[in-house]
Order: sequence, then structure tokens, then C-alpha cells
Amino acid sequence: MTFELETAANPEGLKRVVIEPVSRVEGHGKVTLLLDDDNRVHQARFHIVEFRGFEKFIQGRPYWEVPVIVQRLCGICPVSHNLGAAKAMDMIVGAQLTPTAEKLRRLMHLGQVLQSHALHFYYLASPDLLFGFGSDVARRNIVGVAAAYPDVARQGVALRKYGQEVIRLTSGKRIHGTGAIPGGVNKNLSPEERDILLKDIDQMIAWSRDAVELIKKIYCDQADFHNGFGYFKSCFMSLVRDDGALDLYHGGLRARDEHGQTIFDHVDYSNYWDYIHEEVRSWSYMKFPFIRSRGREEGWYRVGPLARINNCDFIPTPLAETERKTFKAFGGGSATQSTLAYHWARMIEMLHCAEGIQGLLHDADLLGTDLVSRGERALRGVGVIEAPRGTLIHHYRINEDELIVRANLIVSTTHNNQAMNEAVRQVALQYLDGQKLTEGLLNHIEVAIRAFDPCLSCATHAVGKMPLEVELVDAGGNIIDRLNKNSDGRCDA
Amino acid sequence: MSKTITIDGLAVPFQEGQTIMDAALASGVYIPHLCHNPEFKPHGSCKLCTVNVNGRNVASCTMPAVEGQQVLSDIAELNADRLALTQMLFVEGNHLCPACEKTGNCQLQAVAYYLGMMSPHYNHFYPQREADASHPDVMLDRNRCIYCELCVRASREVDGKNVFGLSGRGIKTLLVVNSASGLLGDTDLAVTDKAAHVCPTGAILIKRHGYAVPIGQRVFDHITIKDVQTGGGDE
Amino acid sequence: MSENKVRIATCSLAGCFGCHMSLLDIDERLFGLIELVEFDRSPLTDIKRCGPCDIGIVEGGVCNAENVHVLKEFRKNCKVLVAIGACAINGGVPAMRNNIDLWDCFQEVYCYEGGLECGQIPNDPELPLPFDKVHPISEVVKVDYFLPGCPPSGDAIWKFLTDLLNGREPKLDYEMLHFD
Repeated sequence: MTFELETAANPEGLKRVVIEPVSRVEGHGKVTLLLDDDNRVHQARFHIVEFRGFEKFIQGRPYWEVPVIVQRLCGICPVSHNLGAAKAMDMIVGAQLTPTAEKLRRLMHLGQVLQSHALHFYYLASPDLLFGFGSDVARRNIVGVAAAYPDVARQGVALRKYGQEVIRLTSGKRIHGTGAIPGGVNKNLSPEERDILLKDIDQMIAWSRDAVELIKKIYCDQADFHNGFGYFKSCFMSLVRDDGALDLYHGGLRARDEHGQTIFDHVDYSNYWDYIHEEVRSWSYMKFPFIRSRGREEGWYRVGPLARINNCDFIPTPLAETERKTFKAFGGGSATQSTLAYHWARMIEMLHCAEGIQGLLHDADLLGTDLVSRGERALRGVGVIEAPRGTLIHHYRINEDELIVRANLIVSTTHNNQAMNEAVRQVALQYLDGQKLTEGLLNHIEVAIRAFDPCLSCATHAVGKMPLEVELVDAGGNIIDRLNKNSDGRCDA
Repeated sequence: MSKTITIDGLAVPFQEGQTIMDAALASGVYIPHLCHNPEFKPHGSCKLCTVNVNGRNVASCTMPAVEGQQVLSDIAELNADRLALTQMLFVEGNHLCPACEKTGNCQLQAVAYYLGMMSPHYNHFYPQREADASHPDVMLDRNRCIYCELCVRASREVDGKNVFGLSGRGIKTLLVVNSASGLLGDTDLAVTDKAAHVCPTGAILIKRHGYAVPIGQRVFDHITIKDVQTGGGDE
Repeated sequence: MSENKVRIATCSLAGCFGCHMSLLDIDERLFGLIELVEFDRSPLTDIKRCGPCDIGIVEGGVCNAENVHVLKEFRKNCKVLVAIGACAINGGVPAMRNNIDLWDCFQEVYCYEGGLECGQIPNDPELPLPFDKVHPISEVVKVDYFLPGCPPSGDAIWKFLTDLLNGREPKLDYEMLHFD
């Protein structure tokens, strides 16, 4: 693990190549490369160029609004933010969730992860995997997939639709619903709604199995290439259930090092800051978290499907558990550190979600009417959940008037910040170094980023060191905003 | 034999002392309005209920009904004015529906839906407004106040208190409360007071109830404000 | 690629991608849509710069200099420009920061938090200049159509697009018009 290529020793005179926007990911990011005259890579960075400041502007808002507001961080995984914040608010209202509330939330979240994984694999990543990383740019998208592999595309659309319908029926809306509230949920499932979901679940499980087979075949047909693409080793972190099982909704934090040795396990997440710190670097709005005990340089880690499948002792649904064993056995463990193995792990999780939904739909508690619980009020709450892209931390403090006074959000993609940079640099060295750059070669960088399914929505663009004045002029030529950027980086409005 | 006026060609009966709005509501004829609520004295401030009576534009909530009046209400010109007034209300405050717990139950939003508002049209003020959560059970969020004075009237006329009032003029108008500290928590407002429940927008809210009603079961999810306020529609 | 297909570009400025997700919520109708249209620049394709298009769909408000650049590129290239969703139309939830000093916002996020090391405001030239307010896109360019919602539902987007593609003035039913 090194920070080679993060910062060029002598940036003067180097050529700058920029990939912007990084496409077929969610949110705004760009990659910059600094190359010498022989196209040798001296610096490679993956920047998050957005800043939205949710942690600040929700201050002064009442806690019960927050789960609905903060889900606007992300249109792909709003349910995870809704639930992460709701879990924190459960602590604030002193709730012990009723079985109905917890199972409805779990159902909603399985729908969320299912649709997000389907979206990522079929709509965003599959064009690279089916057509090749350097294939024709005009075809390298979901429309191209629909033309060349219509059955694959139709299954992807149907799987995502099903996950979205689970979300709609539990939260009122496919995107930015209001299902989870502090202490519980605001609706149960009617028998009719349950039956709508039951009708198609067997098909969804069958198609999820097809998806696992598809990625397994793609991966293993060129195993050496896929294993080696952007390969590096790292620590992994995820939630696990008390018995070590994969659990996307709740559990304790587990971290393992690059050799599989446990760093910490079953940690109560409400004390997460004893284990994780964050570093700020000047060139990205996304912070760089690390495991405290290992320090900034050695403590970075990966989260998300690959981390979860690696970290858990077993998956509590049978079909997915079988696939997990196959995955672990493949290549004697080397696949478990490979960047592209994220896709494989993700499809195993999608199968787990479909199985999990089926199990819950047969649970009578979903139709229960005891939806909300309240207990002793607290002034602080932490909610952690495994969002589609990895561990998601929401942390709030309120005052006596019940308004938010502090908030800290560590979103899934932030945990993967260093790892995504590492992947970019590995690919830059493997495929671009010394080459004449083409669109297809540059796409290799994006392929590595896409493996993480990054969700870059949670960030803004900032302030360079050069004094600069920018004016925003409206359609009629009138100045509507002006910003002075001083040499110390400070802005004057 | 009862007296009648006509509204958009329809004969509408009225009794002595009723306004055009009173007569319209009693007959199930909808005239868009925000500051009017039949339980309180008319205020005539939002101007959304402006109608054309015998060639002149007047506020229907304050104009007494008089035998033989020819009233025009649901016509393109007046609806365009109503839309513009609604849009102005949106840009004058901070009405961010996705972040407001009143969404789906909000009359300002419902009127905008009824009038087919697709954008606020005017440039936003993004004014600096304060929220006040000092009361144990009621929250005041001035970002969403439209100065209809329904809370002022309810407190005075129904609750027999004098908790709310407007201060300042024009764009500097502010909803204030009657306590030395200026905080809602130091007034004699009770959560059971009428004034805590009449706000047409999300400016006065009962604490800890946000988002308790699921999407699909909120007041205006399936029926328009016209049908809600005139008892029409298929509830 | 057919010559007579309608060409559509989409982008997300200061938004959450929810409107793009809602576009995908047309579900299997997507297969019918791609018989009629082809996509230019979009987060769903790898085309990085907008070329001449019939319809441009913009999600998100304007929060920095790069947003302005992209928005003007869209306006220049698209015959019809559509503002989709609350953020593009009135700034949306990100506009909640419009009443807060940007510097305070940065300080809060990058300097004050517990568990933070090397606290500093990111200031690399590669990061675009932020504005002190989030602006609706109509304050910067002329917008032809507004499609409200947070996000508008897949059905609303489908109705809007099919109206537009069939030369009708887009009109939403009551159940499709939402601001939340």
C-alpha cells in the first residue's frame, strides 16, 4: 500500500489529461493525470468536485424532518439514507422497534439494495463487461446492451423495477419516500400489496441467479485479466450480525486487514469515532477515512459488496451462501482482493436480497399494526446501515428544543475514497503508462472506478489558490452572484 | 324566495349578510383562496379569491353578496392572476416542498397544483427567516409563513388569547409572538389551541408528528383543493 | 443510429441523480423510447460533451462555475431545454444552504468535526469555484419547460416526453403534478 502517484514530485512541465465527467456512475467526479513527454504517469487523482453541505444546513431543523431531508443526498440509495437517519433518530426517541417496524424497514432496504445493484450492473457497468473496456463509445451504454443482449437488458430492467416497487409499497414513493420515521414506520403492508410482491418474487430469484451466473462466466472466462485489473490489497470493513452473518440492516462493525486478520470485531457503531478518523486533502471534497489504530497511511480500507462478502462468516440465505462459497474458493482467495470482483460480490448480494425479500413476504408481522415505539429521550443518535455501496454512518446531536445542532455523515463512497484512487493509479500504471492515450484506454480508468459503484452525489466544487473573481450572469446579462476567491482560498461573496 | 347571484353563469343563492365567498362555499362553488377560512372573520389579504363583479375586480371573501350580481371567477384572466400571486408567495418565502413535512397537506402547494403551476417563474428571494422551536409541543417555522393571519385570528377570536401578530411592512413583514423574549415557548399558547392547527402551510406545526401520514393518504394526494374545500370529488 | 431519431442529452448539476433514476422508472417503456430517441451526453452514456440535440434535460441547480459551463453548453446545443425536478426549478434541498455563509459551511464540514485530521478547506485548482448560493437554472439560461417533482414520477416523465415527442404541449394530470 503506497501513496505513489498521488502527488508528482515536479508537476511543472507535465501534461494534464482530464476525464470529466466520469460517466456511468452516480454523481460528479473527475480524474486528472499528469504525464511527461513519454506519457509516463507521474500523478493520478480521482477528485470529488461537489460540495453540498448537508451537515451544516440541517442544523436548526427538527430531528423528525431529517430522515426525509437527508435522503436527498442520493437518488439511487435514498432509502439507505432515510433508514440510516431513522436509526439515529430511534436512539434519540429511545425506541425499541416493534417487529413489524423492523421487518418493514428490512424489506424496504432489501428492495433498495436489489434495485441499486441491478441498476449498477445492468445499466452502468455491463456495457464494459459485455462489449470490452475499449469498445465503441457509441454502443457502450444500456441502449447498446438492449440491442445486442435484449434478454439481459430486459431482466435488468425488470429486477430494478421490482426493487423500486418494494420501495414504493413500503415508503409511498419509488424515490424519496417517507416510510421510516423516528421510532418506526408510517405504514404496514396490506395483504393486497404483499400479494403483488409475492407474485413475481420467484422470477426475481431466478433472474438473480442468472445474473450471478453471467458475471461468474464473464469473470472466469478471462480470470487472469480480471483478477489482475487494478489489483491491490487492502483492509475491509462492514457490519456483521452477532453470529457473523451478512446483515445489510444492522450489526456490529468488523474490520480485517489485507491478510484477513481481524482488526476489530462486533464493535458497537455508536462509538465509531474511536475506530475511524477522517483526513482532509486539499484536492478533493471527499474526505479520506482510515482505521485509527493503523494510522493514515496503512489504515485505509474498502467497504461495499466485496468487503461484506469477504468479511461475513456466512450468508443467511441458502442460494447466496452457496455462491459465496464458490466465490471464496475461486482462485484460492485472490479474487477476493480484486477490484473487478466487486461486480461478482454485488450479484451474490442481489441474489441474497431477492431471497431475503421472499422470506420476509411470508412473515405475518409485515401486516402488523404496531408501527411506532417511543422511550426515553436522548440528545445524540448514531445510525449505521450497509447501503448498496457500503457502510453508511449518520450521527446527530440535538438540543433541548429538539433541533439538530451537529451532524456528521460518512457515506459509503467516502470510505472507498483512497481505494478508488489506488485503483485508478494501478490501472494508469498497468494500461496507460507510456502509451498513446485513446478514449478506450481512458475508459479503463473509469472501469476501475465503476467497480466501486461510486455514489458521488454527496459533495461541491471549491476554491483554488489563485485570486479569482467569478460572476454569474443571468439570461438577461445581469449579475446575480459574484464570488471573490482570495489567495488564501477564502471566498468573499 | 331566496336571493341569488350568478357565478360563472351558475345561479347561487345567498342569505343577507353573506359574502360572495360564503355563498360560493355554501353552494359548492370553488373560488381559490388561502387567507380565508369560513371559521374566522374575512381578512382579504391574499387576493387569490379576487373575482370580477359586474366589471370590477374585488376580493370575494370580503365583498357582500348583493341580489343580481354577475360574478366571473373561473376565467383565464383571473386564473392567470391567481397563478402569479401564488408564484410570488413561493419565491417570497423558503417553500422547499421536498424538505417540508406539510407537503401533501399544504394549501399553498394544493392551490399551486390546482392552478397548474409548473415553476415559480419569478426569481427567488431566499430570505433569511428564523425557526422557533422553544415551545414544547408547537414549532414555528417562519420560512413558510405567507402572512395570512389565520393563526392571529384564531388566537384572538377562538382561543381568547393574543399569541400571534404581524410586524413590519412589505417584504419585511414578520410573524411575531406575544412574549417578552419573542419566543413561542414563553407565550400562553397551548397545543390544543385553534391557533396551533389552522396554518395553511408548514409554518406552524405540531412537534414530532412529521411524516406520520404515509404518502397516498395525505389530504391532497388524490383530490384537488377544489374538491376538498367544496366537498366534491370521490373521497 | 438512425438519422431521424430525436436526440436527447441529459445532465445532473447540483442534484442527487434522483431525476435520472426516475427517468429509468419508465421501466420497460425504455425499450420503446430508444426506438424513437438516441442519447447524446448523459450520465448513462460515455459521451462527455453535448453535441447538437433536440431536447436537453437538466437535473439539479447551479452551485458552482462548472455547473454554469455545462448548463450553457446544453443551452447552446439543445433546441428545447427542460428543467427537471425541484433542484433545477428552485434550487431544491441544496438551496437550504442559501441562508448560510458558505465559509461557515466549509468550516463545519472540513475543519470542526470530531475525528478529523489535517482539517483544511479543499482548495485545489481542479475543484470548481463554488457559488455562495444555489441557483435555479432559469436564472442563468432560458428554460423552455419545467417538470416539477422531487423527483417527478416515471409516469410523469413518460407523459411529458411522449407529449413532447408527439408534438403536443406537455400536460400533466393532477396525480402527476407534485413538488415533493
